[in-house]
Amino acid sequence: MPELPDLNPVVHGKLRLALLTLLTGVDEADFTWLRERTGATDGNLGAQLMKLEEAGYVSVEKKFVQRKPQSLYRATNLGRAALTEYVAALKQLLGEAVIRGQ
Amino acid sequence: MGTNANELELTERLNLIEAMIGEGRRSCESWGWTFVLWGVAYYVAFFWAAWGHFAYAWPVTVIAASLLTVVGFWRQGNQPNTTLGRAIGSTWAATGISMFILFDALGFGGHLTDPHIFLATASAMLGTANAACSLMLKWKAEFVCALVWWAAAVIASFGSVDAAVDAFLAAIFLCQIVFGIYAMILESRRRRERGAAHA
Repeated sequence: MPELPDLNPVVHGKLRLALLTLLTGVDEADFTWLRERTGATDGNLGAQLMKLEEAGYVSVEKKFVQRKPQSLYRATNLGRAALTEYVAALKQLLGEAVIRGQ
Repeated sequence: MGTNANELELTERLNLIEAMIGEGRRSCESWGWTFVLWGVAYYVAFFWAAWGHFAYAWPVTVIAASLLTVVGFWRQGNQPNTTLGRAIGSTWAATGISMFILFDALGFGGHLTDPHIFLATASAMLGTANAACSLMLKWKAEFVCALVWWAAAVIASFGSVDAAVDAFLAAIFLCQIVFGIYAMILESRRRRERGAAHA
């Protein structure tokens, strides 16, 4: 029987998973857009983005647009790969659960 | 009990991924107003040209509509780019630039004397852009627009000038104004659904 995969704990967090999924679908996104899409609070969003950044899954570019600070977030190649692996592991685990249930 | 809870949690994660993919796609799609804007612009240019100012009616209207389109997208603000969005935008931009160059060159070169050629070529090019986008988006309603434009191109090729003009004006109404309003209603409904989901 094949060994069941572990789920990446950095990706597994609900908000971090939502953020990484959103960012893999777009070229780049700013903080406001991510907040609107996820409905998260500023503090929680900032903290989870920081964790993704520390893991190397997200990169951030800070700049000023019309004298207002703007943070642009991008999913890195490492982040995209982590999400792909996470989805594969998730499907494998769910497949096992279905088999066990039969 | 524990296994079921785990299973539920995993399913919830998978659903979350699907929801976020949809969320990212939906929020980047706001194109309906451009169809209405360009539909109005075509009518303005068409009737202005018919008024007797053919040489500059189309170039001036197209430049003005292009500027309004750029301003409109700029006002939409912090919408991120997606590969799909860029593909659709590129298709329309390339079509618009091709039409602008072709018809201006033909017009200023003195070769745009037969209205059949103008109407048939413009209709066919708009049909191509609509068809390409409909295939990218897998959107049947937009493919119907492509068929309407191609039908207008055929009518312009074989019919009288009056029939060609009527077909062109009808295609603008159906494929730009009506389709644009329909797209705006769909976009507005999606925005409301998203608002309700976050409430």
